[in-house]
Amino acid sequence: MTRKKILGSHVKRLLSGVSAHGGRHLTEVETDLMQTERLLEEAVERLTSSFMAIHHTVDARQHTINLLLAGGIPTVEDSARLTAMSGEISQHVNAAITSMQFQDMTSQLIDRTLKRVTGLRDFLDTLDAHGGALLPDTGNDEIVDRLGKVSMALAIQSLELRSVLRKSVNQQHLDSGDIELF
Amino acid sequence: MAKTILAVDDSSSLRQMVAFSLKAAGYNVIEAVDGQDGLDKARLQAVDLVLTDQNMPRMDGLSLIKLLRELPDYAKTPILMLTTESSDDMKQKGRAAGANGWLVKPFDPQRLIEVVKKVIG
Repeated sequence: MTRKKILGSHVKRLLSGVSAHGGRHLTEVETDLMQTERLLEEAVERLTSSFMAIHHTVDARQHTINLLLAGGIPTVEDSARLTAMSGEISQHVNAAITSMQFQDMTSQLIDRTLKRVTGLRDFLDTLDAHGGALLPDTGNDEIVDRLGKVSMALAIQSLELRSVLRKSVNQQHLDSGDIELF
Repeated sequence: MAKTILAVDDSSSLRQMVAFSLKAAGYNVIEAVDGQDGLDKARLQAVDLVLTDQNMPRMDGLSLIKLLRELPDYAKTPILMLTTESSDDMKQKGRAAGANGWLVKPFDPQRLIEVVKKVIG
């Protein structure tokens, strides 16, 4: 292979590698951001629903309490109604607690996205550093050598980045998770 | 006397939710912000149950469990994972480390209390 072809081959490999690496990571950024958005939307929807339900039940309970305070002696039905309302409020509070855990999940997704973005920036910094070492009169052999070194450096960075980006949040909804006792 | 649960999670909102749910059911709750904090607090006071997240700074849940199991006071203490992780691979690692159960987030407070009651009464 001629020197020109060797140089061309290295450049092509580097450009293709950078493009593939960047593309893969940006697709993952997109996926994580969309998942975060879905979880946030669902959390707001469910929390709004819980809030309204609690408000409605507390209102109804207060109405019953006011009637009792005005009238005096509670009936068995009054007592049963108040007990049922307490149960309803607990259920709505539990639903809200489940929904509020969106913060933990979205925080992990955002953290993963930030790590990825930082990794990509470091990747571009490495390209810049190696590119900066090339001068207008740098010989082809040296360019080939440098391209080899930058490809190696980027490959190592790529592996390091992948090692810190394990996906730990796969939940697409805020339904409560499985429980398993060993 | 009320049983005591050590809740380990780096998310303060999650710890609040867990503590709120368990205290409402009559348990005492000690909170820890990560695995190292959990280990330090477990050494200071023996608890009846440890509920730990997996992905935390300084020390993760699996590492915490392995170190707790080396402590005489914690050889048989029930330890449950409460985590976003749901893969069989992670559950197997948890079981091998010494966990007694695996709860996937988000948790439902009523179900959490049922599991805790089943494990420690």
